[in-house]
Amino acid sequence: MEQENLVEIRNLYLNFYTYDGVVNALDGVELDIKKDEILGLVGETGCGKSVTSLATLAMVISPGMIQSGQIEFDLGKEKLDLLNIKERDRLKIRGKQVAMIFQEPRAALNPVYTVGDQIAEVYYHHRKEELTKAAISEAEKDVKNAKGFKRSIYKRELSLLEKMLKNPKSLTVRFASKIPILKRFQNRIKLVVRKDTVELLRLLRIPDPQRVIDMYPHELSSGMAQRVVIAIALTCNPTLLIADEPTTNLDVTVQMQILHLIKELKGKLGSSILYVTHDLGVVAELCERVAVMYAGNVVEVADVMAFFKNPLHPYSQALLESIPRPGQKFVSIPGTVPSLVNPPIGCRFYDRCRYALEKCPKVKPELVETEKGHMVACHLYHEG
Amino acid sequence: MKSKGRFSEFKKGMQPTIKELKFTLKKIRQSPLSLIGMSLVSFFIVIAVLAPVLAPPKMADPFLIPYGEEYVTIPEPPSQLHPFGTTTGKIDLYYGCIWGTIYAFRLGIIVIAAILLIGVTLGLIAGYYGGLIDEVIMRFTDIILAFPGLILVMALIVALSQAINPFTGQTWTKIDAAILGIMLVGWPGYTRLIRGEVLRVKTEDYIEASRASGSSDLRIMTKHILPNAIYPIIIVASLDLGTMVLFAAALSFLGLGAPPRYADWGQLINQAGNWVSYGLQYWWTFVFPGLFITLFCLGWNLLGDAFRDILDPLYRRK
Amino acid sequence: MGLRDYIIRRLLMVVPIMLGVVILIFAVMQLIPPESRASVYITDPHQFQQIDIVIEQYGLDQPVHIQFMTWLNQILHGNFGYSELLGGEPVLEGLIKRLPATLEIVIYSAPLIVLFGIWLGTVSAVNRDKPPDHISRITSILGTSLPSFFFGIMLISIFVAQLKWTTLGRVTNLGSILVQVNTGRFHQYTGLFTIDALLNGNIPLFFDALKHVALPVLVLVFIQSATMVRVTRSSMLEALSKTYIVAARARGLSRKEVIYKHARRNALIPVVTIGGLLVGGMLTGLTITETVFRFGGIGNWAAMGAISLEVAIVVAYAMFSAIIFVLANLIVDILYAYIDPRIRLG
Repeated sequence: MEQENLVEIRNLYLNFYTYDGVVNALDGVELDIKKDEILGLVGETGCGKSVTSLATLAMVISPGMIQSGQIEFDLGKEKLDLLNIKERDRLKIRGKQVAMIFQEPRAALNPVYTVGDQIAEVYYHHRKEELTKAAISEAEKDVKNAKGFKRSIYKRELSLLEKMLKNPKSLTVRFASKIPILKRFQNRIKLVVRKDTVELLRLLRIPDPQRVIDMYPHELSSGMAQRVVIAIALTCNPTLLIADEPTTNLDVTVQMQILHLIKELKGKLGSSILYVTHDLGVVAELCERVAVMYAGNVVEVADVMAFFKNPLHPYSQALLESIPRPGQKFVSIPGTVPSLVNPPIGCRFYDRCRYALEKCPKVKPELVETEKGHMVACHLYHEG
Repeated sequence: MKSKGRFSEFKKGMQPTIKELKFTLKKIRQSPLSLIGMSLVSFFIVIAVLAPVLAPPKMADPFLIPYGEEYVTIPEPPSQLHPFGTTTGKIDLYYGCIWGTIYAFRLGIIVIAAILLIGVTLGLIAGYYGGLIDEVIMRFTDIILAFPGLILVMALIVALSQAINPFTGQTWTKIDAAILGIMLVGWPGYTRLIRGEVLRVKTEDYIEASRASGSSDLRIMTKHILPNAIYPIIIVASLDLGTMVLFAAALSFLGLGAPPRYADWGQLINQAGNWVSYGLQYWWTFVFPGLFITLFCLGWNLLGDAFRDILDPLYRRK
Repeated sequence: MGLRDYIIRRLLMVVPIMLGVVILIFAVMQLIPPESRASVYITDPHQFQQIDIVIEQYGLDQPVHIQFMTWLNQILHGNFGYSELLGGEPVLEGLIKRLPATLEIVIYSAPLIVLFGIWLGTVSAVNRDKPPDHISRITSILGTSLPSFFFGIMLISIFVAQLKWTTLGRVTNLGSILVQVNTGRFHQYTGLFTIDALLNGNIPLFFDALKHVALPVLVLVFIQSATMVRVTRSSMLEALSKTYIVAARARGLSRKEVIYKHARRNALIPVVTIGGLLVGGMLTGLTITETVFRFGGIGNWAAMGAISLEVAIVVAYAMFSAIIFVLANLIVDILYAYIDPRIRLG
């Protein structure tokens, strides 16, 4: 059954403007992420995979700048080109429909805020309306059941909450949030958030969530910290989760745990995952499809089984050969990645490729589908 | 063999550093702020060197500003005879500012040299030997650093002015006391800096190797540790040159430094204090010396900043 | 280590330092021959005629350790000597009398330095290498190069002498204020003219005193905030380069929110450590600025004392400054340990 595309990246060009010159980091990247799949994105350091993953959020770290391209996102109700909408609207998508987890878990958490505060921040940012409504219904129940003095207190809280729902920026609401006694109306929302947070942490198999909520990032082990980062990402049930080498810096045993966790979560939540890594073992373990990047281009895309059985691109073949096996000699790919300041005109893998043809250094190969679901950018397969 | 000496060992250890210093100079030419700093400093160096030509001394002590025969109280505006004007007692400001440059350099260099000598030596010893010596030296720096800025220097000046200077047989002059005071108060910063460096480098393998092959402590310190620590020293010293001169000028302004009629920028502004109540009428009495101090300091600050920006990545690369 | 242990350790460190400070001051005093030193022990102006008796009484020609004990004893009883300046007064009294004037400058400069410095430093870091950054860097470099007395004198010649906007000193007509105080029509609750004027309902006096304190405050703020701007800037730049900033933006927070909610909290922690340096810089700066503006605070007093070679005044000032400085650094260190959760919770 043909799966629909969740994200379609087309013609993505990205440059870094550095003191040493203009670095041609992404050179027309094409990538599809399907709904409800785990797509692996592999490549060596510097090939542009992290940049691509960030770009999927339409985020670029200075001194980078996206030159051109489209990132089409199927949000269900509509399809949006992330590069074509206002930043204000992008802020509504980031963290909500798309979320990201990072390589160094403790570095991704702000050291001066507790775990609970950081998770709550996402709730407040994206789901405020929902939370306020929940608090309102609670308050209405209380108003019905209470009598006399208490009743009037609850009534006031209810009215403040309703005002907040209608116009969160109104003067009354802002005023009330600062005054000691009045600001208690926010406590209902805080309770709801806290309850949800505990549930979320439990879902991620974090032991003793009540205690963890009030801890600071440096008090957590890196495995726990990574779970917290994942929790933050899952707060709003995103349709796409981008994972940028989340297990690279963890112990092997913890790595396995997190991988299992991710698989489990994907099953439960039905989201897609873009898993960026340089570790082919992880790809084999976790992913359904895989895309290979080299020097700023996607050079091969295939189902994982097909990829490992029959890698088409010379780079992919070399990668698979270079995986160390007991009893075999240590094989590495000769040569180095070309400088992207003055990139070669033709295929960027040309000078390290053992099958190089005459047209390779002159013409850049395009990503073409050779078999069902298997695409490769190499002149060897273009002649038909 | 051993007589080849500590200095040649030091020079050998410095080779890579010298290459990097050349690279640094090139980088300086690329940034506008550091260029300004470099030009300012060069400007002052030129003035200092050419002083005898620009403003020929007329008295036995060239730092004593020449004055006219009649004692004229009121400052005279800039004219051909007195390009910067004069201040109380017909003191030529042009002469004062020009020779003030040499005065400033002399003071700055002497003070910095002494501070470096004391500070670096104590820092090396404290960091290298550790233990009780380290504790004692560190407590001593703490005590001196417990006094903000100039206050201890002020106390020293007041005290020394009433004590006999063993070198001259008379009571300390305020300016000599000021110089000594700044010296005695300025070294702790360097000691801490060097000590930090030593501690950082002490644990590295090549120190162990050197020690295992029998190098003496002094040799290790001069060949290995010192060249690595040069960068932060350069940065702080160039910033300090400006700051020390600023301190001295402030002391002179308060009347605790150079005596009247001396070619010292701070002293000149002290004189100008009498004429400030007339508004901008006698502007030249304070604007010229003030500009000289500001630009001198600015030059060294910019240069020090430039060094910091350039040497920091180089430094961290190690 | 735990916060409590850290505080205790830090407090204990203060004791040897203070002892060392006292010993150092004593050592400096010893450089002076006994006759000139006597003013540090004198309590009554008449004793100036009888220096020999004073030397005898306090053992100024005794061995050093005995002298130290005697002096320490005097200090602990509040005897800091006598000064002959301005009609003469006990030194401790002179210090306390002039403290309000200094405080008046401090309470306006300190918050301005902190707020302005942090604001400009943040703006600078957020707009790195763009015009606002360049302007602020030039301003802060100027702040460290411009001599405070030169700046002060320029301000005086323009605003006091030329424009006649205000006068030197704390108020325009000190004499008439003092008369009012003596006749009970003006109550000095705090000793600070600006606040007392408000408390007495004397609005014109409030503005007058404010105008007088404005220029010294301007000088101090301009020069001291330079350090603040620098440190905030580099601290913010450091914070902004961290991964959690990218992570926060990936959660949909706007650039502004990220800067103010995430980066700044982290950046301000190292900035706290500057607090101590600031106090030290202000103490030195006050000495000069008060003198230039004839403000009559303790800095002014100490400078005059130094010129007149009044040992007692300088000794008292040095001790006072050292105590304040050490305390400030202590508070800053403890504050720093408290607000950084990584240190607070070990």
